[in-house]
Amino acid sequence: MMEFYKSLYRALLAIAISFAITSILFVLTGANPFLAYYYIFFGAFGDLLLITETFVRATPILLVSLGLAISFKCKVWNIGAEGQLYIGAMIGTLAALSMGESSLTLLISILFAILGGAAWASIPAFMKARLGINEVITTFLMNYVAINLIQWLLAFPLKSPETLFPESARIPSSAIFPIIINHTRFHLGILISFLIILPLMYFLMMKTTFGFKVKAVGENPEAARYGGINVGRTIFIALVISGALAGMAGFFEVSGIQYRMRPTISPGYGYTGIVIALLGQNNPIGIAFASIFIAAIINGSSTMSRMLNQPQGIVDFIQGVLIIMILLSDMILRYLEKKELILR
Amino acid sequence: MIELIIGLLATTMATSTVLILASIGETIVERGGLLNLSIEGTMLIGAFLGFLGAYFTGNLWLGLLMAIIGGIITTLIFGLLVVKLNLNQVISGLAINLLTYGLCLYFFRYTFSQGAMPYLKELIYPLPIPFLSQIPIIGPILFNQTIFVYIALISAPFIYYLLFRTSFGLKLRAIGEDPSIAYRLGINVNKIRYMALILEGILVGMAGGMLCLSMFNVFDVRITGAKGFIAISIVILGRWNPIGALGGAIIFGFTEALSLWVGTLIIGPLSASMSQLLSTLPYSVAIIALLIGGRRAKGPAGLGSPFLKE
Repeated sequence: MMEFYKSLYRALLAIAISFAITSILFVLTGANPFLAYYYIFFGAFGDLLLITETFVRATPILLVSLGLAISFKCKVWNIGAEGQLYIGAMIGTLAALSMGESSLTLLISILFAILGGAAWASIPAFMKARLGINEVITTFLMNYVAINLIQWLLAFPLKSPETLFPESARIPSSAIFPIIINHTRFHLGILISFLIILPLMYFLMMKTTFGFKVKAVGENPEAARYGGINVGRTIFIALVISGALAGMAGFFEVSGIQYRMRPTISPGYGYTGIVIALLGQNNPIGIAFASIFIAAIINGSSTMSRMLNQPQGIVDFIQGVLIIMILLSDMILRYLEKKELILR
Repeated sequence: MIELIIGLLATTMATSTVLILASIGETIVERGGLLNLSIEGTMLIGAFLGFLGAYFTGNLWLGLLMAIIGGIITTLIFGLLVVKLNLNQVISGLAINLLTYGLCLYFFRYTFSQGAMPYLKELIYPLPIPFLSQIPIIGPILFNQTIFVYIALISAPFIYYLLFRTSFGLKLRAIGEDPSIAYRLGINVNKIRYMALILEGILVGMAGGMLCLSMFNVFDVRITGAKGFIAISIVILGRWNPIGALGGAIIFGFTEALSLWVGTLIIGPLSASMSQLLSTLPYSVAIIALLIGGRRAKGPAGLGSPFLKE
């Protein structure tokens, strides 16, 4: 329990300092920071519609960061979730389009999306586990392969003949998640993510032998190897699972929100997921709260930008500062403890 | 036909130069045991400040100076996080990439909130070298280029000399193998690492500046397009050697030039399609090259690990 409070402290401290630093940007550009944060909060939780929109935004981030948490816990830095998400969305869409209307279309499309993301992640996973090639570089470069390739597919061979934009045809209605709350975009995929996937991942990470292996490899690969754990295989599976969840997140966006595959399916959820996995300190419960938090910041910032005439970019800035502050929080906590400013 | 191929190779030199400068900069820092992923953000800051400087002063060279200063500041911030505070190098690098992306997007939109897309009225033009540029074939490819190309070509042997023939290079490589042993031998680990980071800042800032000042006359936050990460792959493929990095960078520059070239060569609806498909080429080539050539790559032994003074 002590560990839990410590993690919570760290996260809150990082958030508080990041807000303070971001205030400097607001002041520099002549906006009142208090008003800015008020509008961000209002834009995220102001009424029922806004609250559901925050959950709509939080869902892909939750799925991506749950997957990344497993790989980060293994000290495998998968920064390719963005590409894995795109590939999952694309493969899922193709599956849905080729199956047409049927009672199994949705389920099978989701499975294909998961497989797509997992397969895409298996390339850098193989290179890391077998050849020892730094996964940070390969996963990131593969984002560009995936996104450029999909842009090409949607602009030429797979372009829908009915529209002017580079996008796929509309998926069959049996591949679409039903809406749960009328007159909002709150779809079934959100409930599946928070009520099924989240507990499953919690169970996988905290209660299974595999979860233990991941932790052991992350903490000390040499000791894990002595203990009889197949380090390469653990790394491979951890990275592939994170790709699978990113792929799922991608198709959930198609099935729940867009109804078509578009080259703009993700405004960087794969990168936001990195921040959230770190902010949630690889704990699924922490990650759930952190995803809602960052979704609120993203949605609230667009309201705030409109009201205060602020340019875009604040969201990325806050995310960068947040990561640094999470890294620094241990140091700051230790300093505060030494000065006896907080209770031990 | 021969003119088209000369054109392709001349473009290759220009597109390679960004990668040559960046991968040589990264080679220096990685030889000192630091894995700097923030090179992408460093390049972006170089491009942004280069553009702003040139736009507001009307002087391209002042823009270049701003780009270099911006590059140095960004690598020094990375240094503060990983050398002084000993934070995780991978995550700190990623954090700086996000941070610089946000800052550039925010201040670009803030500065140019109204009106048309800002652009630079002129670019840094090629500086033909007398006599040499008259040589057929080689002249237009190598000696009718911008100053950046010459700097990049000269910096490879220069940095090679610095790394392998000077006491600075010897100390830096000792730190890269094992910082604690280097420290016990009386080497000022942090000072040498900061010096390496400053060199990287100059080179990468210049690479970013080149994007806005001699290749495109506009700024966009996506202008660097993972070139920093391609440069990091080049460092591995070039086996942490500036001459190897030079060779690798030219191969990648060629793939990029090829997609630009095809776009202008083929006319009609096929052109856009081919050009877009070929834009994945540098990234796919990087992955395949790492798959084949990254296997036995052995970098400095202490690369990426933290250094704690006892």
